[in-house]
Amino acid sequence: MRDRLTTALKSHNVDYADIRLEDKTDSWVNFRGPDLDSVGSSRVTGGIVRALYKGGWGYATFNNLDDLEKQVRDACETARLIGSSKTLLAEAQPVVDEITAVMDKDFREIPLKEKKAQVEEYNKIALGYHESIQATRTLYSDSFKKIWYANSEGTYIQDEQPNIVISVQATARKDDIVQSVHESAGGPEGYAAVENFHEKAANAARRAVELLSAAPVRGGKYTVITNPEMTGVFTHEAFGHLSESDFVYENEQMKALMKIGKRFGSDNLNIVDDGSLPGGLGTHPYDYEGVRTRKNYLVKDGILVGRLHSRETAAKMGEEPTGNARAVFFQHPPIVRMTNTFIEPGTTKADDIFKDIKLGVYAFSVIGGQTAMEMFTFSAAYGYMIRDGQVAEMVRDVVLTGNVFDTLMNIDAIGDDLRFAPNGPGGCGKGEQHPLRVGLGGPHIRIQNCVVGGGQS
Amino acid sequence: MIVQQIIEKAMQKAQAAQAVLINQETSAVEFDNDLLKSGTSSQRTEIRLKVILDGKVGNSTTTDLKDIDGIVARALEAAEFGSPAYFEMPSTQQLTDVKTFDPDLLPLAKPEMIHFGKQMMDMIKSYNPDILASAGLNKTIYSIEYANSAGAVYTSDHTDYSVGAGGALVRGTDILYAGHGLGQKKRSIDTEDIAERAIEYFRMAEQIVPVKSGVMPVVFTPSGLALLLLSVILGIDGKNVFLGTSPLRDRLGQSIADSRLTIIDNPFLDYGPRSSAFDDEGTPRQVTPIVENGQLKNFIYDRDTAGRVGVQSTGHGSTRTLTNLVIQPGETAYSQMIANIKEGLLVHEYLGIGQGNPINGEFSVNVYLGYKIENGKVTGRIKDVMLAGNAYEALKNITAISKEQEWVGGGYNFFSGLVPFIQVGGLSVTAK
Repeated sequence: MRDRLTTALKSHNVDYADIRLEDKTDSWVNFRGPDLDSVGSSRVTGGIVRALYKGGWGYATFNNLDDLEKQVRDACETARLIGSSKTLLAEAQPVVDEITAVMDKDFREIPLKEKKAQVEEYNKIALGYHESIQATRTLYSDSFKKIWYANSEGTYIQDEQPNIVISVQATARKDDIVQSVHESAGGPEGYAAVENFHEKAANAARRAVELLSAAPVRGGKYTVITNPEMTGVFTHEAFGHLSESDFVYENEQMKALMKIGKRFGSDNLNIVDDGSLPGGLGTHPYDYEGVRTRKNYLVKDGILVGRLHSRETAAKMGEEPTGNARAVFFQHPPIVRMTNTFIEPGTTKADDIFKDIKLGVYAFSVIGGQTAMEMFTFSAAYGYMIRDGQVAEMVRDVVLTGNVFDTLMNIDAIGDDLRFAPNGPGGCGKGEQHPLRVGLGGPHIRIQNCVVGGGQS
Repeated sequence: MIVQQIIEKAMQKAQAAQAVLINQETSAVEFDNDLLKSGTSSQRTEIRLKVILDGKVGNSTTTDLKDIDGIVARALEAAEFGSPAYFEMPSTQQLTDVKTFDPDLLPLAKPEMIHFGKQMMDMIKSYNPDILASAGLNKTIYSIEYANSAGAVYTSDHTDYSVGAGGALVRGTDILYAGHGLGQKKRSIDTEDIAERAIEYFRMAEQIVPVKSGVMPVVFTPSGLALLLLSVILGIDGKNVFLGTSPLRDRLGQSIADSRLTIIDNPFLDYGPRSSAFDDEGTPRQVTPIVENGQLKNFIYDRDTAGRVGVQSTGHGSTRTLTNLVIQPGETAYSQMIANIKEGLLVHEYLGIGQGNPINGEFSVNVYLGYKIENGKVTGRIKDVMLAGNAYEALKNITAISKEQEWVGGGYNFFSGLVPFIQVGGLSVTAK
């Protein structure tokens, strides 16, 4: 394969070109309620050629792998139509590497029949948990992606990326109140990662039932404690996306807003993106441009010290590439993405963080989050009121919203615990590229004056 | 045809089979941060096979046209322990004629797309040079071949063309993204009009104005109606009705909205962004009234869910996706609607849509792009404002529907359709 790619690349007539081919096999088993909703498997092969000429990109994407030379020619022709200034690409040491996935039980060797039986068991646990469980949605999927990458500078990487996910969503209903809670697990580990999910399946159902008798949180400003998964979503959504240099590198005002050296939080705030973190959901030895991943501090001691780059954004900002160019599928060129993003643990004992809070909200687990630059919202699956330093009654519909700069400044305590969110069927979305597997984590944190959405009741 | 070969192969073991082949070519250009950034050519092939073996269903897909043996084997394997088939393959039926192919789009090449993109960028820059302008044009030509073991064979050709323009404006710590886009199956998209509309969203946002918390009338732009329509779309999904999670499950024929509200799903609008004559299960498309004069008329079903419930498929494909959603226009001119409001909001885009409990109708979102209406005029952009309520209650509390309808669709919207502005009597607004 290396010969095929390097031969095809030889025909380029631009400043830089690369090819990525993918061969992905998937299988899935989905239950909705008592019924098997869908079971099947698919195989997708395809590739992308990127050509860069005088600063303009030409892309060719394709399913048909027969004539790679033609794809290189197409991409080059487009690039020559687009480019009119100057090519800037940060230097990256050419590498040749072959990565083999290591799995605890290779899911490709498990018959679909066995997978179905396992998924059905989890589904039954959730469905039979309580009479008010109205519906379940239990999703299993695995995929094994093989990648071949080569660029015109001599890099050649052969890679294997397994991914497995189990997720149970339980929906409970009482009259007109419907509440859904989900639990999930998985990652790059192999089939073993989804084998002991029984308790989690029951947990999803139990919490959905509990939420039926929880009142919606009353909208207003509170002291908010986020659990580690929620801290991870907040860090990723509200702050992480602003660190992606493609939002910054050609925007003078954004550059001023995200100026290195600027204070973003108190002295004990450290925010990291680390694509080399052992066992992380966003971990990989190289990014999609063949750049080695590494630990990148974004905020250190409260001060902005770094940001995330592709080779192009790094060159255009005169900074080093960070190994953050990633792509979801071959239909897309890599763009600047996060890997494993987290707040480093602080010094406050996790149990002490509730002390002194007269009235607050403890936000748990994650339904979703969204951001538009400095504004964010993120949703807790459920929460608890905090009254006089104690975790009190459960509440639902907890949606946190605000301005990220204010909110980071309002973090006044950082727990000494660190945990990452489990793998799920979703992932991070940016532009058209969704879902990308990322690691999200952190400790318990305390945010003062946080706006919690809700009715005016 | 290759789909017929696959059916033949599958039928050596299966009792029923259907295959769909999609062949697609795309050309696109993209401008960002005032610059022409990239051009893309894409070729896509996909085959989807569904078989019924011993009364059970198996699915498989592939992108490799030479992998006929593989796709058939994998679908048969899945069917061995698949879910029971609650449906049969449809036989050949008369299809309704609808225009989905515009030969004028074929010669449109990248240099010309670049030219239109530049024009839109220039218009935005000449309105305000501080805006970092962006634009994108995308032309996709695709064909669909469908065949099944009941003898139905359909083919159709499509041309999709979409155009968008917008930009980012940063003032201090305030960042505003706005834009407008349109997708159709024909070439005649007015690129100047797209840029004009994008500029209008910036123009209305020149001032940032304060809002006090309270209950006030809210005007939803056609694209802003996504907030309320999301709940309806989830509620009429036959799967949610079948599973009992839809709050509309027992409400067919009953009033669920103001009597002026009529929502129709119409796949037969010539060159409409989601127009087509048959779905991916070989079911002929049909016009489906969803809400008529406030009354709930239909749920939407795929063949499998329809079979489980004991009704007919509504031709919305295996994923039960609406085609062109049309909300009938009302009697009030948009300008009059705004002029009649003493204090209220005009809302267009949100953060956090779909979070919380959309199937129940509940929403609580940050208004990402919205405007204050004061004494009959749009006075400026609002910020840090949460809008909360229940979509079903809001639809009962409609106070006006505009005469004007606009096409909504393309990348950022989960629905596509022809939709008016709708005013809701009062919603809870929380300002920071």
